[in-house]
Amino acid sequence: MSERAHLSFAMRHRQGALVFDAAFELAQPWTVLFGPSGSGKTTVLRAIAGLMRPAAGQIVLGCDTPRVLFDRAVGIDMPAHRRGVRLAAQVATLFPNMTVRENIAYGVPGDATEVVEETLQRFHLDRLSEAMPWKLSGGERQRAAVARAVASAITLKDSGLLLLDEPFAGLDLRLRDDLLGDLRSWLAATHTPVLSVTHDVGEAFQLGAEVIKFDDGRVLRQGPVEAVLAEERERLLDQLSRKDMQGEFKPL
Amino acid sequence: MDFEALWLTLRLAAGTTAILLVAGLPLAWWIASGRGAGRAVVQALVALPLVLPPTVVGFYLLVMLGPLTAPGRLLIRLFGHSLAFSFSGLLVGSVIYSLPFAVQPLVAGFGLVDRGYTEAAAGLGASPWRTFRTVVMPLTRGSLLTSAVLAFTHTVGEFGVVLMLGGNIPGATQTLSISLYDQVQDFNYAAANRTALALVIISLAALIVIYSRRGSGLGRGELV
Repeated sequence: MSERAHLSFAMRHRQGALVFDAAFELAQPWTVLFGPSGSGKTTVLRAIAGLMRPAAGQIVLGCDTPRVLFDRAVGIDMPAHRRGVRLAAQVATLFPNMTVRENIAYGVPGDATEVVEETLQRFHLDRLSEAMPWKLSGGERQRAAVARAVASAITLKDSGLLLLDEPFAGLDLRLRDDLLGDLRSWLAATHTPVLSVTHDVGEAFQLGAEVIKFDDGRVLRQGPVEAVLAEERERLLDQLSRKDMQGEFKPL
Repeated sequence: MDFEALWLTLRLAAGTTAILLVAGLPLAWWIASGRGAGRAVVQALVALPLVLPPTVVGFYLLVMLGPLTAPGRLLIRLFGHSLAFSFSGLLVGSVIYSLPFAVQPLVAGFGLVDRGYTEAAAGLGASPWRTFRTVVMPLTRGSLLTSAVLAFTHTVGEFGVVLMLGGNIPGATQTLSISLYDQVQDFNYAAANRTALALVIISLAALIVIYSRRGSGLGRGELV
């Protein structure tokens, strides 16, 4: 493991037709795991969070005092709740018996109530704080679920990791841009490292200085977003300009 | 009306329900969320009293609690007397015989809890116990109530196991259902009518509690 890495990940596993043979290290504050749907990105996050057990591999978290979360060879498999890893899953599962505020407070220590208030404000959830989840729209539920994981990660005392699985997939572009900018600066200020998953080129460029290109259970390339996703970016721009020339974009 | 038998029946039903809730919750959670070959065997053992004649259960418990078996001898050493033909023995028999009535509603309720909720809690640093206490239990309050009411009413109505294991000792092992049997044997139909009516009222009231509550917790996110 390199000196600066805060996560060292290696995993071999078979899941249906998908064969995982993946290894990478995280050193940047925010890294994006980029790949098409069905490439195994969510499984990687679940393995780090301790929600699935790979057939082989090793997961080590932290650079100053590294902790082995999982090592099949020596039989280490730390329970999910002790890993210091916080996960916002792709499907927003807010606890239906709690209000939005109670959901966000769930993973926050009792003495850090100011973090709950700040999270509600930053995610524009203050007016919905006393609402039950079933009263929220899909986008609001998604926002609250991400906010809940962020609030919990920020209050982690030891070096932890925040995992975000397609965090803003259900949101409109303006709100997504607004939240992303604010979230990046907040997480950087609180020294909370993030590994987020996306299949959206635009989101990858917006989020990450560092990108891991992932497909078919394997890491294809890792590096700065401009270098790793240059091809995808060109393709996207090409598609957009062709649609523009065909008159598919009409002024509002 | 045999108030001594009524009091003994209520004590027996309350004790059985309390023991079954404490023991049934972890057992039901393990069945609903666990894996492995052992689970099918445990599920079958839990459900066995549903298909066996009560006299069969009562007979084996009578033998098990007596001095002929090692567990029976151990219990005699612990309590100073055999549990057969005693209130404690009735309690053991009732717990075993009402086990499926307490565990199966809980298993069904826990099965409705989306795995996404328990994984979300783990992903926020919650221990399995905290997840169970703060997420699973509040979502399945209806199952807990159904489990308690069925265990209670089933114990109130027991006959075969109680007769085999406890005999018919007034004040010690004579429950309402056995008192009713005695009253009919004595052609005392007026007393039998009062006893039977008491059993009907207890059972009906318990079922009204379940049905009047059904659906009332859905607004708080409860599943059942």
